[in-house]
Amino acid sequence: MNFLSRLKPRSREGSLGIILVITVGVTGLINPRFLTGDGTRDLFTSTAVVALLAIGMAPIIIMRHIDLSVASTVGLTAWFIADLCAKHPDFTWVQCFIIGPMIGMVVGILNGLLVAGLRLPSLVVTLGTLYIVRGAVYVISNSVDYNAQEMPPSLLDLGQKVFFGIMPFTFLLVIFAMLVTAWFMKYRKAGRDCYAIGSNPHAADLVGIKVFRRTFLAYVFSGAMAGLAGVFYLMRFAQVDSTAFYGQELAVVAAAVIGGVTIAGGSGTTIGATIGALLVQTIQGGLAAIGVDAFWKSAINGFLLIVAIYADRTLARKSESALLAQRIKERA
Amino acid sequence: MKFKLRLTWDTSILALLATVWIAASLTTDNFLSSINVSQIFSNTSEITIMAFGVIFLIITGEIDLSVASTLALGSSMLGWSYAHGAPIWLAILICIAVGTLCGFINGFLVTKVGLGSLAVTIGTLALYRGIANGVLGKNTINEFPDFWTGFGFDTIGTSFIPQSLPVIILFGIGFGLLLHNTPFGRRTLAIGQSPEAARFAGINVIKHKIIVFTFTGFMSGIAGVLYTFRFSTAQADNGIGLELLVISACLLGGVSIFGGIGTMWGVIAGVLLAGSVESWLTLREINAQWRTIVTGILLLISVAAPVLINKAKAAKAKAANKS
Repeated sequence: MNFLSRLKPRSREGSLGIILVITVGVTGLINPRFLTGDGTRDLFTSTAVVALLAIGMAPIIIMRHIDLSVASTVGLTAWFIADLCAKHPDFTWVQCFIIGPMIGMVVGILNGLLVAGLRLPSLVVTLGTLYIVRGAVYVISNSVDYNAQEMPPSLLDLGQKVFFGIMPFTFLLVIFAMLVTAWFMKYRKAGRDCYAIGSNPHAADLVGIKVFRRTFLAYVFSGAMAGLAGVFYLMRFAQVDSTAFYGQELAVVAAAVIGGVTIAGGSGTTIGATIGALLVQTIQGGLAAIGVDAFWKSAINGFLLIVAIYADRTLARKSESALLAQRIKERA
Repeated sequence: MKFKLRLTWDTSILALLATVWIAASLTTDNFLSSINVSQIFSNTSEITIMAFGVIFLIITGEIDLSVASTLALGSSMLGWSYAHGAPIWLAILICIAVGTLCGFINGFLVTKVGLGSLAVTIGTLALYRGIANGVLGKNTINEFPDFWTGFGFDTIGTSFIPQSLPVIILFGIGFGLLLHNTPFGRRTLAIGQSPEAARFAGINVIKHKIIVFTFTGFMSGIAGVLYTFRFSTAQADNGIGLELLVISACLLGGVSIFGGIGTMWGVIAGVLLAGSVESWLTLREINAQWRTIVTGILLLISVAAPVLINKAKAAKAKAANKS
């Protein structure tokens, strides 16, 4: 008993990690190819874009806001960079990695000004910018597509690069971003402020937390991550048209929420968000392995999301009553 | 009774609608032609029908992003059951029943289980469309009886009125009365203003919200029937992305996203405004892609304008206080 209770994970991320390992294990039993180096690499490659977006989105959801415009931003950045590369053949991956986040930041600044500056509801604002940014892609792209020939070979090579046989370069960057943001959110004042704002925006304002600055910067950060994700999109697919990554914003929200970033704000980590993204991808891979039709993919996503919020709710209630019981005991 | 014109967003949207119509008829030849007006009405019909339900939800302070997926699931079940030999009336009933059930599930998860409506309906948005995908796959069903496809597509006799318009008007009057002239409507507004206070005033908030969610589903089912017959096709990606248009129409119509405020005529004006602007752009042969941008800008204006107006008012009051 003692041994078992010591094994019990203390954190949300721990239990999610265990669920992930179990899912990977079960999927591997059904389809041994899944556990090979190739299978793991595929999993990482296909999760990189969504995981990066979920990391960018996590601070925003923690602050009780939301950013629905990320998928449109990915589309905009991916198309814009492909266009620039086609016009400037001397571009290498360096320019792409600099320009991508900058384009994303422009969208982030717009969102941030509207949400933090005018205090408009983030759901509506980012819904609006979702339309505007996607519309901008439609208009400027003029139905032009780009393929691998127009893209800088150094960028595509980097997209193919794999370390230790299983770790693609893109996912290595995702892990780096995850660790840096997790450290920042946990140990820096600005990071802690985000949790305070999400737990009680009004109180946070009253105790003198710079709500405007934190919210604004969170949106700029999310925009920058979306811009970088646009570069990742190019590296993975090596082609882009105006509908790139259309309608994927809810998948990103789902990944973050499944990873324990509560939509009501105030809790969650970027590590959780990344594990959430991996978990969704693994479960889909696993179901495909046991022969479930790809048409059910979206239904499974939705179901997982509802289960995740339900689990979240139950856990929150449990810890709430445990805390209450503890306080009563202390009083007595 | 003295008619007092309040300068609020839902009255100014009517003025905005009139402005758009005047500007559009001045700049194009056939904006107010019967065929074009008929087009505007029938293009917005599903959005209007779903908005009738969603307005109640937003007023109670909840949201439903799954309406378009409910429409698709209903439509797919209609096609599937019809293709499997069910008579058309039964297929239509199945569509509406499926929609109602979807709405009830949303309501149950939000109120009884106590999950946030935004997260739940993002989940059911994927879930319902996913089930529609799973049932129909890539198949489409597009053989329906002429009478019903005529109902979706044709106009009454030689007039410009779409056959479905009277149904929508009836629904509009019914729901308008329900919202503005019945205890049910007052309770809806009261819950939106303050759920706590409403509960202490003896309103069964949970039951009320479940009812509102359920009939939003019901309306999505009806929209599903109409969509299926208007395009004479039942497939899994019917009405994809409509949920955002429905919500933006409601917000354009002056419904507050924080709940407690909203009028039926405002929403109808909001739907027509979006539809008219789209039609105007089409007639001016402006690149269809611009419409997405215009929708987004309208949405931003609809939330930013009331806030900015309030700020200006507050600044004015402050200045008046000082002098």
